[in-house]
Amino acid sequence: MVRTLFAALIALALWSSTVEAKPRRGGKPRRAGKVWSGLVVATNAPRPAPAPPEVRPLDGTLRRTFGYNQFEVIGQSHRALQNDESTWLAVSKHFSLHVDPRGVTRDGYRVNLQLYQDRQLLLETTATLSQSSPLVIKGPQIGAGQLLLMLVVQ
Amino acid sequence: MFMKTFEEKWTAWVDNEMSATERAEFEASLDDRAGAEAEKLQTLRLGALLKEQLQPRAMGNDEFFHHQLRQRIEADSRSAASIPASRARESWWTIRRLLWTGATSLAVFAVCTFFVMREHPAPEQSEYLTQILNAQVDPKVNPYATVSIFQTQQDRVTVLWVDGLKSLPSEYAAK
Repeated sequence: MVRTLFAALIALALWSSTVEAKPRRGGKPRRAGKVWSGLVVATNAPRPAPAPPEVRPLDGTLRRTFGYNQFEVIGQSHRALQNDESTWLAVSKHFSLHVDPRGVTRDGYRVNLQLYQDRQLLLETTATLSQSSPLVIKGPQIGAGQLLLMLVVQ
Repeated sequence: MFMKTFEEKWTAWVDNEMSATERAEFEASLDDRAGAEAEKLQTLRLGALLKEQLQPRAMGNDEFFHHQLRQRIEADSRSAASIPASRARESWWTIRRLLWTGATSLAVFAVCTFFVMREHPAPEQSEYLTQILNAQVDPKVNPYATVSIFQTQQDRVTVLWVDGLKSLPSEYAAK
């Protein structure tokens, strides 16, 4: 009888630890840091098209911050960053984003970003990308719109 | 044989517990025979008086006393008989019942924790915000460009705001 009780207690403890360790229902499982990058042209339209799925979570913030109501992705990339392996991320006809990973710290992913317009370096920045904290860079004005560069760690 | 002390011989003499030979020897050794006899007489009188006065007093209410005593004994017997019942109450917390109680409490706690955790999932957001360590624009290409950094309160977006870049024609929005 006592053995049965001890077995039941151990089973209960194991079950509790399993429940705690399992990913919660509805929660996103944590994955190795993949980065979505996008070249987005923001414009104002009388009947704005719905935002692309990658931009949709930030649609409200982008509207309030930059004053545009329509966002079109003209180039995007979705890839994992490898240490010390520089690579091209989002690329469009005239713009391209080059990234040089500098390692992972407690705060996030340290990267060096270069935005090129054709073959000309337009902007260079070093940033620590943190999960759930997207980075948006306001680029040059294009026609009546605005180029935005977005990076989201997933 | 050992020699008796004077005090022992004196006590035996006063109590008339000496043989005739011993008494004769002891009385011959006394310096003041008359004084010793007087003292012996006083001692005997005192002993008789004490025996007479220190007799145990007869109880006038012995029935009442016995009744009280019986009641006390019966009360003690009753309290002794009630001890096993209290021991039985104490023994309710046996090891087995303690284990059952502990297991039940643990199960209730686990179930409550499970439901609470399911209803209030922990936020997955990192506590850190994206940080811009430095940013620069080529001054030869865009001499009037300025850079500022801020964070939006909603969505935790870090914005690198670059002003003064050269405007481009709309065909640069091509994919």
